[in-house]
Amino acid sequence: MFVATDLNRQNDKIQQRWRILFMVMTLLLILPVLIILLLLIIRGGPMISWTFLFEFPEQGMTAGGIFPALLGTIFLVSVALIASVPLGIAAALYLSEYAGDNWLTRVINLAIINLAGVPSIVHALFGVGAFVIFFGFGTSILAASLTLAIMTLPVVIVATKESLQAVPQAFREACWSMGATRWQTIRRIVIPNAVSGILTGIILEVSRTAGETAPIMFTGAAFFLPFLPESVFDSTMALSLHLYVISTQVPGVPEALPYGVALLLIAIVLVMNAISIAFRVYLRGKKKW
Amino acid sequence: MTMQLLAKNTQRFWLALFIVMLLAGCGGRGEGGSSGRVVLENKGSDTLVNVAQAWAEAYREVNPNLAIAVTGGGSGTGIAALINGTVHIANASRSMKDSEKELVREKGHEPIEFIVGYDALAVYVHQDNPLTETTIAQLAEIYGEGGPTETWTQLGIEVPGCANQEIIRVSRQNNSGTYVYFREAVLGKQRDYKLGSRDMHGSKDVVDLVEKTPCAIGYSGLAYATDHIKMLGVSTVAGEAAVSPSTATAIDRTYPIARPLFMYTLGQPTGNVKEYLDWVLSDEGQCIIHEKGYAPVRAINCDGGDTTAEATE
Repeated sequence: MFVATDLNRQNDKIQQRWRILFMVMTLLLILPVLIILLLLIIRGGPMISWTFLFEFPEQGMTAGGIFPALLGTIFLVSVALIASVPLGIAAALYLSEYAGDNWLTRVINLAIINLAGVPSIVHALFGVGAFVIFFGFGTSILAASLTLAIMTLPVVIVATKESLQAVPQAFREACWSMGATRWQTIRRIVIPNAVSGILTGIILEVSRTAGETAPIMFTGAAFFLPFLPESVFDSTMALSLHLYVISTQVPGVPEALPYGVALLLIAIVLVMNAISIAFRVYLRGKKKW
Repeated sequence: MTMQLLAKNTQRFWLALFIVMLLAGCGGRGEGGSSGRVVLENKGSDTLVNVAQAWAEAYREVNPNLAIAVTGGGSGTGIAALINGTVHIANASRSMKDSEKELVREKGHEPIEFIVGYDALAVYVHQDNPLTETTIAQLAEIYGEGGPTETWTQLGIEVPGCANQEIIRVSRQNNSGTYVYFREAVLGKQRDYKLGSRDMHGSKDVVDLVEKTPCAIGYSGLAYATDHIKMLGVSTVAGEAAVSPSTATAIDRTYPIARPLFMYTLGQPTGNVKEYLDWVLSDEGQCIIHEKGYAPVRAINCDGGDTTAEATE
């Protein structure tokens, strides 16, 4: 029969103590998220209205809506996606499915990791030098989006590569032994089984891109623009920069306005994340292993 | 056989998709050219950015085909962008240095200067601060390198709510035109700022901080004044009558720390740039700058009254 000794009991107590400590620390993590959300909803919630979402700013940006900024953020994110997703997926496919384990692959992987670690303000300055001045795009949506694309490429590549590698090797081998080529295997077996992970990566990119300020403030985002952008060579307003501008530079802004903009920005990111989670749950349900 | 055909089709599909994306990327320029709208890039001074924004907003009515894209960042940012040729008009709250003009000339352009208004740099203190006026020399001793004034007690006053009466100096980041102008006007060209000031990144930030800090003193554009802050009268020499900052005292140049505000172009402006600058300097444009709390370049009549009138809002 098992009889608890003093030592056992003491061990249990220590177990318990550590468990509680870790739990409290985890719960502390949720606290800032909750406080930020509550504060934004309470202070910024009343701002959200039809006028706010779909009209131009007026009276020195202290009244009216934020439509150009909202649309600008959507434009910036879309163009960044068009530029980075094909490139990122292609790179990940090569690295995961074709590349052998040699020095070149290792150098590429190292480059991707380093690219992910570059501070966003450095990306911004690179964007000014490369896209705005050297390629002559000027301060434009194109320049800003390409800067964002380069900044978020590592996210797409790493997420795609990981989900490709999560597809069991046996699937590929089974396909090859049926006489399928490498590309047929990728197209028919690997990608369909990895698509949920790839989509998650893309949506993560969207939510990061929407919130970035530094890379766009020198490359394509304007303090104020009286018109909506018409092509990728126009500059644009953007929600993140607009938030910065109205909270630090414009006198006489009603206190609720910045909170409203922040709430909208967070809402976009949360909605994107929710879509990503829903997608993943749906596609995981369809998985056959 | 079928398998091969399928593979070929999917390959073609991917190729087509790739080409479409490339075209989507390049198609923009043609699209931009076909519409009649022209964009003017206008970048620079944070002091001027809100006026520039108001001008751009109003100009929508004057010429709907000309869009003015306004960006802030500081006078230095605007001038750097002008040198790089990425803007049409640079805003500055200080004049261009000779070295900067030289850089523009090296690229084959002549920088052209326009004075578009005047700004009184107000000296702000907390509203509980009993001080009502100061002198240039006094400010220099507070802000300047080696200046002995560190506490409010040294100025013979006691500020309620300020522990140990230490003066908290609020200043600006060093690429700000306001920073450069205040140094020239108050400290003199040779003298540097004392270390240890709080350097803010915007005119509004200075006012916000001073408003909340009983110990603080700060300088920023008159246009950023609020109801909860105190502006000091300033005299050039001790004993002379101090002049309160206002658009009126900025126009007649009796207020000692008032500076011109500039717009710069690459070469003599033509076409749209010229039309826009002409409008900015017209009565309509000048009334907008007046409305924003800055002084127009000349005395004019706006709806709100004569700009030469005493103590305009």
